[in-house]
Amino acid sequence: MEITTATRDGATILSITGRIDTATAPTLEQAINKAIEGGNRKILLNFSAVTYISSGGLRVLLATAKKLKQPGDKYALCSLVAEVHKILKLAGFTTIFSIYPSEGEALAGW
Amino acid sequence: MPGGSEPLISQEWQPVPGAAGAQIYPFIRKIDTLSSNSYLIQTDDTILLVDPGGFPEQSENLVRIIEGLRKDHDRPVFVVLTHAHIDHFRGTQDIPAFAHPNVIVFAVQEAGAAVLECGDAKMTQAELLDQTISPIRIGLPLLTADRAGSFGVPVFLAFSNGASVTITRGQTPGGLARERIEFGTGPVLDVYHTPGHSPDSICMQMGGLLFIGDVLFAANPGIAGIPGWDQSALIRSLDGIESLLNEGGIDVVLPGHGRVITAADAGRMFSSIRSDARALENIVELNRERSIETAAFAEDCMEQVNELFTIMAGRLYYVSYVMEELGEDDIAKEVSRLIKGDVIDELLDVFRSFSDEHHKGGGVSIHLALKAGQVIGKLQRSFDGPELSHIIDPALVQRAARLLSDYTTMLRGFCPPSERTECDLVRHLEALVTGLSVPACSDDDLLSSDDDDSTFTRLLLNRIGMQPLLSDVTFSFSAGEKSLVAAVDHDEFTDLVTYILEDLVGVGADAITLSVQRDGNNAVVTLTGTGCTASDAMKSGGGFLGRLSDRAGGTLSSAADGRQREYTIRIAGLI
Repeated sequence: MEITTATRDGATILSITGRIDTATAPTLEQAINKAIEGGNRKILLNFSAVTYISSGGLRVLLATAKKLKQPGDKYALCSLVAEVHKILKLAGFTTIFSIYPSEGEALAGW
Repeated sequence: MPGGSEPLISQEWQPVPGAAGAQIYPFIRKIDTLSSNSYLIQTDDTILLVDPGGFPEQSENLVRIIEGLRKDHDRPVFVVLTHAHIDHFRGTQDIPAFAHPNVIVFAVQEAGAAVLECGDAKMTQAELLDQTISPIRIGLPLLTADRAGSFGVPVFLAFSNGASVTITRGQTPGGLARERIEFGTGPVLDVYHTPGHSPDSICMQMGGLLFIGDVLFAANPGIAGIPGWDQSALIRSLDGIESLLNEGGIDVVLPGHGRVITAADAGRMFSSIRSDARALENIVELNRERSIETAAFAEDCMEQVNELFTIMAGRLYYVSYVMEELGEDDIAKEVSRLIKGDVIDELLDVFRSFSDEHHKGGGVSIHLALKAGQVIGKLQRSFDGPELSHIIDPALVQRAARLLSDYTTMLRGFCPPSERTECDLVRHLEALVTGLSVPACSDDDLLSSDDDDSTFTRLLLNRIGMQPLLSDVTFSFSAGEKSLVAAVDHDEFTDLVTYILEDLVGVGADAITLSVQRDGNNAVVTLTGTGCTASDAMKSGGGFLGRLSDRAGGTLSSAADGRQREYTIRIAGLI
């Protein structure tokens, strides 16, 4: 798994490539925590190159939702491939945070 | 007998109890399907190597020991196979010493001799394990039909390695055919015919030691049903061996794989194997084709298991999250403990790594199938279905349980169950989609329970955890006729339609149509989702859903066009 971080329109965008599983979920959590601890309260996860997410990965997504609940905080995912979208949808996660088709559409609402 | 907790010590010479002058050198391996244990026995008259094993290094090591023994005291050598399966002899094939009949003579039961003499890849299991074998010359076929005619009369035989032996045919009180082999004046070797695991399986006794080959594993998944396996013969053999143990005189039982056990432990194990064996009616043959088919089914199943378990774990995390939001921290913690997400992830990772290695290295299908069986067995023990069903959709939990059970069933040598009965497809589908559209717990249920804390909590968890699959999509159902009756497996058909609907909802379809129509004498069920997330991957007829559809009684096809996905199930023979 690889993570690249960029800033756009005041939001921190973490673009993830590869599988989010037992081995890699802690790395993702660290990267997200680092961004939040750096004062970034608008976090967008670009999942366009995420091919798989395990339950460990789902836990990281929920833990992030818990950290970004203050007024003005923003947290969303974008560009999910169908298989990962299916897991999040059927697990019920799409009611906790928003999922957008693209980065542009996510940031337009922020 | 040596001290310590093990009845015999591996790779050390020690006396054979009850057989004066005989010594044994056990070579005990960690249990696997690639190579057996080996046992070297020396008496003043002969050297016997029982099962030289599947690995050349193992057989070579034993040959070096034999050469050392012969230097001290030259004696004829016999390699005796408990049966002609590749993991018991393959190691000898590339070692020249085993090809000299003037030194080493091979002995195996007559049926095994025929198999080895012609290099039969199927009966030796070479085919199943993707290996090749060369024919082996068998100097001493055991328990032959010819000698059965000389019951109780000693038969003298001379061999190319200089040995002359006397063989006397008999029968045990428990009904096993027996040959008593005298190699000289020293201890005798009793050979018993114990078919079942294979037609040529034998047990052998010298003094207080009983060598039993693979009978301990004969009812195991991945072993039961191999070519030559015979349920009724196995049960008769188990009865005969138990009777032998009950007669007394046997202290230690030496299996073909795994550690040596006491006779008392063996007795207990035989009872359980016999009851497993009795349950194996109608088992299908575990040949190369079925092993490939099982491995393919394993990979399909594991992909589906991966998805279902991740969804179930995610759903529980979601419920736990919502309860935390509501300030119910204790309930939140309790809910998240109901599924061991870490354990599940780890097990799924183990299978994925194994599968990756398997595909890289051209691995053996049966090993992949057995690994999936191992992972699925652990998954079955890691989740509490009834408890989960109180919180998340019971149909989801049942499908996960059925998936695991179907795989285990197939691995154990049975076809996954398919029970086709008459079903009115229109009414059945209508009821199914209604169930998927309304909450399991209504507002009224929730409001009427507020006096009772525990009932309210249970209903609340239920309401949060069980979100109707079709609640967020525009859904329409149409049927060409009021009633269309066909023979389908009710459970499998329900699972199939649910999996497809989940797939369409999961990939973001904003509208789904389900139609059931007559097409001649066939019923055609079509599920179409529009507004789906575009994806190259679509579950098609060849994989998991295709197999499920076959078991349900239909034929599945699918098509994707941009953001539209369509699945068609064709069911032949309207009633």
